[in-house]
Amino acid sequence: MAYSNKVLDHYNHPRNVGSLDKNDSHVGTGMVGAPECGDVMKLQIKVNPETGVIDDAKFKTFGCGSAIASSSLATEWLKGKTVDEALAIKNTDIVNELALPPVKIHCSVLAEDAIKAAINDYKVKQGADVSSLVQAH
Amino acid sequence: MNSLPSDYYSVFGIAPTLALDLPELQRQFYVLSKQFHPDRFARASAPEQQYALDFTSLLNDAWRVLRDPVSRAEYLLKQQGLEPGDSRTNPPPPELLEEVFELNMALEELRAGDGDARGPIAEALDRFLAMRDQLDRDREALFVRYDAQRDAATLGDLRALLNRRRYIENLVRDAQQALS
Repeated sequence: MAYSNKVLDHYNHPRNVGSLDKNDSHVGTGMVGAPECGDVMKLQIKVNPETGVIDDAKFKTFGCGSAIASSSLATEWLKGKTVDEALAIKNTDIVNELALPPVKIHCSVLAEDAIKAAINDYKVKQGADVSSLVQAH
Repeated sequence: MNSLPSDYYSVFGIAPTLALDLPELQRQFYVLSKQFHPDRFARASAPEQQYALDFTSLLNDAWRVLRDPVSRAEYLLKQQGLEPGDSRTNPPPPELLEEVFELNMALEELRAGDGDARGPIAEALDRFLAMRDQLDRDREALFVRYDAQRDAATLGDLRALLNRRRYIENLVRDAQQALS
């Protein structure tokens, strides 16, 4: 499998590898995996409560080069975006940017799923915070 | 000259069921192996010799696939036109992904020379083995259900179970390799 230069660049120099405090109420964590290839991807966002903008994004992926590159690229794109803008990121954007071949499209799908899962987790946390405030009254 | 059986079950002359009597299958395998052993066709015509050879080869394939319950189920699913599902239709549950992620972290630490990672890997291995045992018990129940009902819904459940099992099996292998 010949990887594109952009995939190789992200694979050799992954951006934003690491983790954020998953118990932080402003951090959303998405954990996704593909059973047939065993890939597992954790992607986290930290949202600025004042601006609603994603200040920081981290990932850790165990999988093939394309899966690592897809999630690395996703974290780059997420930073500076609002949550709604982030939801607009499509797996096809990742496919185009990294020139992924058809057999690796599922890696980009995984990355999109991870973004959505992280945002969902963040929103649930915010909702939970609101309800706990309501309950306190 | 007969044509060769068209599938593994017809090689043994049995109905395509999932719960098989393994000792009986093995007995039949020996009977047929003897019956079609190429040595017995040394003085037969060339087409007969060829048939014995082809049948023996097919018999060996059939025995190898049907004797193992997992490969037998995969074979029957394929015969029924069900290929393994993709991740979109059958994603692993989040709590399992968490386990998988932690296992991968420990494997990475071990590769980096941190011997302390062996403990968590061994614990994860135990949990994955227990999951596999449970899936095998569930599989036996699905075998019985399918043989009784022959319905598409049970086949779908079986496919989902086998996908999950394959996933667990890979984790077991990774953990065992790391610990060996």
